[in-house]
Formats: sequence, C-alpha cells, structure tokens
Amino acid sequence: MMERISPREESLRLRAPARVMNLERLGSLHPSRLSFSRSLIRQMARQRWQISAARFDLDDSGHGTVIYRLQTPCGRYHGVIFSQPLDDDARTDRVIAEAWDVTFGVVEGEVDDALLEQMAANVPLQEAGRQHPRLLVLSRANRSLRNFDAFTRALAEGRQPDPAWLTKAGYLYRTTAVYGNGKFGIADFGRLRDNPDFQRPFSAQMLAVYLLRHFSIDQVEHIAHRRAPATAVGLATPVKRYLGIGNSTGLGMAPFLINHPQLIERWVQSREQALAQIRAQAPDEAQRDRLLTLLDRAGCHLEQTVTANAEQGRRNAETVAELPEVRAWLEQVPLDGDLWQELTEWSHRALSLATQELINTLLLELYPAIVEPFENRMGVDECLELTPEMPLVRLKQLIETRYDWALAFDFDDPDNRYWFWYRSIEKEEPRLGVRGQEPGADRELKLAIAPRVADTHRAVGNYLGRHPRAAVVDFLIEHPRYKDIVRRIQAMSETPFGEIRANLWAREMKPIHLLRTKLSFFGASRFDPKSDRWVRITLFQGAPLVEELNAEPDDLRDFDDWGFPLEPALATAPDSQEKARQPAATGVAP
Amino acid sequence: MKVSYNELQGLCRKAFLGMGFADGDASDAADMVAWMQLHALDGLEALNRGLDYLLAEQHEEERAPILLYADDDLAVLDGQGYSVLGSSSLALELGFAKARARGLAVIKIRRCHNRQLIMGYLARIAGRGMNVTAFWRNGQRPLVEQAVGFRAGGSVPEIRVYAVNQVPEENESNDGVTLVFANHVELLPAMHSAYDYDLLACHEESALLASRERAMLDGISIDDAVWEKLKHLAARMLVESNDASRSGAGPAAGDND
Repeated sequence: MMERISPREESLRLRAPARVMNLERLGSLHPSRLSFSRSLIRQMARQRWQISAARFDLDDSGHGTVIYRLQTPCGRYHGVIFSQPLDDDARTDRVIAEAWDVTFGVVEGEVDDALLEQMAANVPLQEAGRQHPRLLVLSRANRSLRNFDAFTRALAEGRQPDPAWLTKAGYLYRTTAVYGNGKFGIADFGRLRDNPDFQRPFSAQMLAVYLLRHFSIDQVEHIAHRRAPATAVGLATPVKRYLGIGNSTGLGMAPFLINHPQLIERWVQSREQALAQIRAQAPDEAQRDRLLTLLDRAGCHLEQTVTANAEQGRRNAETVAELPEVRAWLEQVPLDGDLWQELTEWSHRALSLATQELINTLLLELYPAIVEPFENRMGVDECLELTPEMPLVRLKQLIETRYDWALAFDFDDPDNRYWFWYRSIEKEEPRLGVRGQEPGADRELKLAIAPRVADTHRAVGNYLGRHPRAAVVDFLIEHPRYKDIVRRIQAMSETPFGEIRANLWAREMKPIHLLRTKLSFFGASRFDPKSDRWVRITLFQGAPLVEELNAEPDDLRDFDDWGFPLEPALATAPDSQEKARQPAATGVAP
Repeated sequence: MKVSYNELQGLCRKAFLGMGFADGDASDAADMVAWMQLHALDGLEALNRGLDYLLAEQHEEERAPILLYADDDLAVLDGQGYSVLGSSSLALELGFAKARARGLAVIKIRRCHNRQLIMGYLARIAGRGMNVTAFWRNGQRPLVEQAVGFRAGGSVPEIRVYAVNQVPEENESNDGVTLVFANHVELLPAMHSAYDYDLLACHEESALLASRERAMLDGISIDDAVWEKLKHLAARMLVESNDASRSGAGPAAGDND
C-alpha cells in the first residue's frame, strides 16, 4: 500500500539542505532507482525497445565495424562502433589520449553509406574530428587487457572465465569520455527536447554505454570463436550479466556540477522528495523483509568491491560493519507507521554517512510507485536570470539566509584559499593548482562559489551604506563584475538543493566527492578512487542483457531489480557450457 | 564548417573571457552572438566586424554604461563607445526593472557599437514576459533605420531594416540605440509610413523560427577563419602544462591493466 502525502507534509518532511548538500555526504551517495542507467533500463523494458545487429564486420582480432539498430515505439537509432588495433604504449585513460581501442557514436535515424564514411573518418579522431549533427553521443573506450585476454582465452578453450576477474575489474572496456550536447559538432541536447526517447538528462549517453557493453560481449565471443571454432563456447548468462562497462574520470566532472546548479537541484530535490514521501509510509512486514534482503545484498556487494584506495576501503568496511546493527535495529523495532522516519533519524545519529545514504538508497527500492514519477522531473531548461528590480537590501538578506554557509568561511586563512581551478592547455583538461606556488591563478576558473558570495556580500553592504534604497540593478551598473554571481544568488535562492555547500578553494576539499555525486546519479558502482582527483567506476554491472530486453519481459519489477550486483557462482561441469554463438551475419541488414 | 549551438556558445564564452570580459559579461556576450547565429542573423560576422574594437577595449577595467539621467520611467546612459557585448545588458535590465514598476520605460544608450548583437539579450528580456522594442539608425546617406520588436514571452522578434529617403538634415550621431519596454503594449515594426523608404531587410517571426529549427537539425554554418580567431582568443585562458600539473589529474602512465 502507498499513501500520497500532501505537498505541505512533504515539505515538512524534507531533510534540511544544510545536511543534504554537504559535500562529504554527496560524496557518499550510491547508485539508486533514480540513477539514469536504471531509468533507461526501465524505459527500454516498459516500451519494448528492440536491439539488433545491423552489421557485424569484425576480423579475427575483433577489429572492424559493428552497427547495432535500436527500434523504439517513437524512432530508430543506430550505435556505430569502430574497433581498431592500438599500440599498448598509446593506451591511456587520460583525456589527452589521441587513440583508443574502440570509438563509437549513437546516431538518430538511419546510417547510409555516406554517413558511415563520414563517421569512419571522424569518430576515431574523437575531439580532433568534426562530427555529424545526427550523432547524439560520441564516445571511446579502451580494453581492460587482463580481463580481455583472460576472457578470450577461457572461451576459446571451452571454459567460462572466472567471475572473480569481474569482481576485481567489472568490465572488458573502460570509457574515458562519453560526450553529448553538441560536443565537436554532434547534436545539441535541445534537439532532443521533444523526443520522448532521450529527453531525460544523460539517457542517450547511458544508451551508448549499454550498447558498448553488448558489443564487448559480442566481440569477445567472436574472437574466441575465430580463434578456436571447434572448442569455443559463449559466455554464460550469469557472467554476461555480471559484466559492466568501466569508466575512468577525473576533475572534468567538477565544473559541470558547479555550472549547472538548477539541474543538480532537480536531481537532489527529486531524491529528497521521494524520500520524504517514503518516510511517511507505514510499512508492512513484507516491506521490512524486503529491506533486510536488500541490506544483505548491498553489504555483500560492498564486501566484494575491490579498491586499492585506503580511504574508500575504510568507508566500505565501515558500512559493512554497521549493517548488522541496522539489521538488528530493524528486527527489534515495532512495525509502526513512523518506522522509516525513525530509521532515518536513528541512522543519522548512529551511523556513518555512507551507511545513512545506503539506507536511503534502499528505501527508494521499496516504493517504485513513489519514485518512478520523478524520472521525468530530472531535467530542466536551465536559465539563471536577474531580478533587477529587487531591493538591494533584500539581496543582502538572501545572502545572509540562503548563503549563510558561504559566509561562514574565513577567506583570510591561507588554507581556505589554497587551491585554484584552471583549464590546462592539454585538451582543456580541468586541473587544480596551489595558489601562489603554481602558474595559472590569473586564469582561474570561477568554480568556487563561496568566496564569490562572500565578496558580493561585502560589496553590497558597502553600497547599501551609501545608497540604502538602491535596487539590484543600481548596484550592478556601478559594479558590473558581480552580475554573474548576483544572478546565481537570486535564481538559486528560490530552491534549497542546488548549491553544494563547500569551499572549493579549501586545502581539505576533496574533489573526489564532487565526482561521486555526479557518478551516483549516472548509476555508477564499484567506486574505486585512484587519488583525490580521479576515479574508476563500473556502469551496468548486473543489468539485464539485450537478449532479455528483446524477449519483452513480463515481470518489469524483477527485470529492474539489478542494483548492487553480486559475483555469480558458476557450475563448472562441461555440459553447463553454452554452445558458442555464431557471429552475426556480415553486411547491412535490409 | 558546421558547429552545434552549444559548441558555438561555449567557444564564444571562452573567447570573451580571453578578451578580459568578466564571467557574467562573457556568458551574456556568448549568448548574444550564438542566438543571432542560431537564427541565421550573422552574429559571428557582426562580432568579427567589431573584433578589433573589442580587442582595443580589452584592457579597460569596467565596460559598463554610465548613467547620465534617470527618472522613474526613463534613463539615458553613455555606452562610452564600447561594444554592447560588454555590460550593456545592465542597461536593458534597468529598462526591465523600470517597466516592471511603471508599466512602460524608455532607455537610451548613447555611444555604443555592435548594436545588432543586442538582439540576443532582448530575447532574454522578452522571455521574462516583457514586450521590448529596439530602434537605431546607421549612417547618414542613405539613412538606414532598424527596428527589432519582441512580443512578451516570444523567443524571436520581427525585424525590419529600411533606408529612409525623406528625412531632414540632422547633426545627431547615429551611434546610439533606443529601447522601449512595456508590460502590456506590443510595439512591433510595421511598414505603414507615408514617408518614402526602401525596405532592405525583413525578418518575420516564422522565418526566424524556421531558421532555428534548421540549425538544430543540421548544425550552424560558420566561417572557419572566424572560428579559428575565436579558438585563438579562447586559448588565452588555458594554462601551460608540466609534469606536476599533469600528474595530479589522472593516471601517470599507460593504462594497460
């Protein structure tokens, strides 16, 4: 049973923005039902999307061109993948790379010879090419050599690869950028505004990654079959399911989070509103049991998450260690109407941030009917506009009430002015420098909102001393350089969840939290930081397969239940092996 | 070559930052240029024509217009000869604020250039529910007048450019722009004058909307040489790389794992 609560009660139950928008808490988020990868899979299943190979031209080494066709009720799209040889010394995850094992794009509509020729000439060049305006997504990926070699060898010898390899690194390919929204000539996101298939943020990018995952399975089976036609087997379904796509990402994600506060507000607010609704629900025994089951699965998943990062390892272990306490609490507390509210409040007092947010994530799993309507509220036409007629004294009050967190920092303390953000001449890669020690502070990116707000507050106060009845526009005509930040303050004061409450100049600031914030909304798992500034994650691990999607599943709830995947246990008897699939027919399907 | 709207806007913003614009001005100027290009109104060409002036202005600390006169529903500002891409948006914001309070306001910006490019910001003002019309003159013989009118809530204007053949001699310099803001009154260009004139250009709302649709589907055509200039300007904001800066941002060696 589910009971809708009034907007008034929902707003009363919302968590305080000061708590929610804390950077370390945002850096503790897990992938959830509202993550874009999960939403896409649900949409594909619900709408009976079909994926087929329109072309499969790979040589014995798996190099060549593959085109997948996607048919939705509204349109047709193609994933076009170019696989090419790559010298080992050219294989790097850095954005400054110039060649990759695989490059690919998602095209709206048909792919004729002319478009394919244009793509073959430009997609492998990525940023250095001029891409076609019908491309919705442009991306590239590199092989995980260890897994790729082990998988092909095992399959060629008639064995299943050990799933433990995927527990260490859950993929055969790792993407290093997935571009959308007009980058390098591809279609603007605005073009998709009226397209029901991909109007949600990042849904086209998620599709591209999902198609790459399917390709990685097809390709490794193809290579094994070509290598040993007599003995090769196909991947067992549990292993395929356990196979995701890796991603390596660094500071490039940080500017997005700061420069799109209205979008971030939508993501966070949607999650918080759903949680507020859920905390008002009176649970039954079945829901409590379901939550206990999910806690066990999530705990095992975190135990199986491999990271060499000591801090991340400590956080994962801390959560795993706290889960028995959560189980005990849930089993002992009476099943009354406020159970979820009490659970949330108790967890806040007693548990680590990561465990608190894990509980919230699992609560979202219990109430699909509450959560899923928010899928369509994750996008926004971003538009920060001035309110020039606002009395300046009102702006000062807004800063003091809505941005009080920004005024709390002491910017005279060198540790609070330690870092500056800049773009490198190397492919414009965002980087951090130490102020006063490294070059580039004169070309600083204005990503740190807190010091700008504090500076604005000081300037506004001074101006009001001379012009107490002034309007905002009067102040700006005299001090135009504040236009940008005033616009932001005015627009974002209306919404509580858009600003990440941190000082991005502070020495103790950890950019990795910014990365995880965004990645959690993508649906990233296996969070494996390599430093405070870059991280490897896995997408779509555990997700349903293309053949399962094409089979048009009846039970959509079960189809959607793939979060926190666990290492599968495989039967090892030879007769359990699947017969190798013949590669798809060569040539473009009619 | 063809570029996307987002790409054009992004590069313009970086180029304006490279020319010393403050963040807000850089964003607004980029929006103004990209908006015109999206609607096939040659924003990049207008920018290119004014680029030398902009580069000459780049070391000026503040490029905002100076308020010469203001009352409740009228203001005159001195643009100091700067491009409207600088901080002229604030003159428009002043007009918006006055019209919100008084129903109708008139703003005159004297001494400014790149006036064509003001259209992109007018679109933003109109998007906030305000009728807004801009009027300016170019040259002396022939005297060319341009009127741009947006309906409240509209995303594209009606534009008329015409040469006026019967005007009295005037000594007024033609380097200003007059703007009318009104909550409830539309002031759109319409050619019903009894005076002798030659229509030089006419852009109707429907045609501009069609141009935008085309650009979103096929990309936006731009001049390669101007694009290269913008890239060069944008590169001013990039910071040289060294081993230390490179090492902090990702894996140090090949990723053959």
